[in-house]
This record gives sequence, structure tokens and C-alpha cells, in this order.
Amino acid sequence: MAGGGFDAPEVGGKGSKHKKKAGGVRIDMTPMVDVIMLLLTFFMLTTTLAAPQLMKVSLPKGDVKDKVKVDMGNVLYVRVSEKGNVYFANGKSDGSESELKKIDIKNVSTELEKIYAVNNSLLLLLKFDRKMKYNIMSDVFDEISRAKIDKRYAFLKMEDADLQLIAKAGG
Amino acid sequence: MKKVRDIKKPNITIDMTPMVDVIMLLLTFFMLTATFKAAESEAVEVALPQSVYSDPDNKMKETDVMTLSLTKEGDVFLDVDNYKIREKIFGDQFGIGLYHPDSLSQSQVQKTGKVGEKEIKRKVYVMNKAQFEKTLVDIKSSLKSISGNKSAQFQVVVKGDKDVPYGVFEDLMTSLHESDNKVFSLVTMIKADKKE
Repeated sequence: MAGGGFDAPEVGGKGSKHKKKAGGVRIDMTPMVDVIMLLLTFFMLTTTLAAPQLMKVSLPKGDVKDKVKVDMGNVLYVRVSEKGNVYFANGKSDGSESELKKIDIKNVSTELEKIYAVNNSLLLLLKFDRKMKYNIMSDVFDEISRAKIDKRYAFLKMEDADLQLIAKAGG
Repeated sequence: MKKVRDIKKPNITIDMTPMVDVIMLLLTFFMLTATFKAAESEAVEVALPQSVYSDPDNKMKETDVMTLSLTKEGDVFLDVDNYKIREKIFGDQFGIGLYHPDSLSQSQVQKTGKVGEKEIKRKVYVMNKAQFEKTLVDIKSSLKSISGNKSAQFQVVVKGDKDVPYGVFEDLMTSLHESDNKVFSLVTMIKADKKE
């Protein structure tokens, strides 16, 4: 309103009346509020706030038939049965492996961290039962992702021998 | 005093400015966070599993997304967000690919024309394993030719139903590996972390 002082002399006597009216001008905001309300409702109803998140999976490079040589003494077998029980077993250099150890699915990440504290170059060999539910796999994968370890993993097919091992350990 | 009150009463005006301010803020918030999706892109609905882990660097891209939806019945739906590619690959702008890895059973869509409870409105193109893998490769090359960008890449996302048998996913992984899609992402819903 600083400019008002300069304008006033030019407008002269008529200005005084004008000024009083101008000060009382009220803009009716109701239509604007109506429109904004409509827009708001529209955007509130069309938004999806629970954005899905992504877990990255990287398959090994090279062909499916390519054989990768790994030191069998440096692997950790993670087998998951049809019921969703998780079993860990350490591989040994001669190709055999240790007894299956049942791990509660909620403790997989902490157990992994414990194991990796001893040997942090382990390779995880994941073997899931084909009849197992997909969300168990995503849970296991979630646990692996959350463990603060250097993640190296490979998906292997569940063989009959694995099924027998699991059956022996309790299914 | 009495007179003044009488005059003032009918003239009551509510100052709407603060309300308008708040509504404006809300409106801006919802406008900025809104993501729009065409109704047809949600043709296949799956109940996603939940996960706690979230990778801040790995976000869903807005365009060039290849979606593989695994339904409870073991069907794999192949969809891309670009209608030009859909037209080129499936011959229909709203086409969707269907691959049923389990050769011993028939897919639910072929039997009943439904996905879950809902009827599928889009044209379904049934593929076997070899055709599916070929399509995966074709889709990748058609993105490059349509966009004119040789380094254009699809983000491959897998939307698996939480009750789908793992075997379906294993077969899908084999197909993805063979069609040179070595990196893909699993879509999950956010779960609150109860451990920490």
C-alpha cells in the first residue's frame, strides 16, 4: 500500500470515497473452496499410498548350463521344506555336509550374521521345495537381505537327496 | 449496546482463509504424491507377500516396466506398460501374455476365463515355454527399436501371489535366466519391523 500515497493527490476529492469502498472489498471464496474441495477429494480417492517395494534378485551371469566351481567347504546350504521349515547345513571340502540345523525363520538374519562373523566369504546355496508357498521364499529372502553380510547366493534345485535329508531332520 | 448487537448478528461471516490454507496444503500433497494407473494395467490382481527390507536405491520405474504376475493357480502373466510394444508382440494394444509352467495341469484362465474371482477383460495370448522365452527376448529388442534408444532397458518386476507354489517361480527364474534377464525385482508390500 506504499504506492497509495503517490496516487492520492492525482485522484483528488473523488478519491476519498473510492478508497473507503476499496478497503471493504471482500472476495467470496466459496466457489474456490468448492472447487478445491472437489479436487482434494479426487486426489485423495485416486492415490495409492502404500507403494510396493522391490527386492532385487541377481542371477549369476553366464549360461544356465555353465558350471561354476565353488569350494564346497565354503558354502552354507539353506534348505526350506514344504512346510516352511528352514534348515542350515555347512558344506565340507570333501563334498559332504554337516547335520541339518533347524532355524526359526524369524532368526535367519541373526543366525546368518553369527555364521558370517566367523567366515564372511560364504556362499549361500538356496534350495526351496517346489510345493512351498511363495511368501515363505520372500520371507527367507527378506531375512537374507536384512542380514548385514556380504550377500552371495545361488538358487539350486531341490533334489531327492535333499528331500530325504529334510524328512530325516523333521520335515 | 442492544442496537449494535442486533445489527451485527445477521452479518456474521466466518473467515475461511485458514481452512482454505489447510485444504490447499492437503491438495498439493495429494497432487504431488498421486500416481495414476490405467485401469487395464491392473488386470491381474495378486495378494503380494510382505517384507521388511527395503532398498532405497531400488524403486519402481515409471515407464519401461515388464511385469510378471504369478497367480495363486500357477499362471504367469507377462505384461509391459508400453501399448506399442504390446501391439507389436501380441498384436493387440491390450494384449497380455500367459504362460503356464506346469505342463501337467491347465491354466485357470484357459479353463474359466477368470483370474481369481475376476474375469479377465484383456486378450490373453497363451504361450508355451519356448514361446515365452522367445517373447521375453522379443520384448527386450522391441523396446530398443521403438524407443530408438539402444541402451533402453526394462525393469523386470515379479509380482508373486503369496500362495503360489515356489515351483512356478523356479520355472520362471529359469526362463528369465535363459532369456538373459539376470536382474529382476520381487514386488512386496511394506511390513512393519517387529524385531527392532
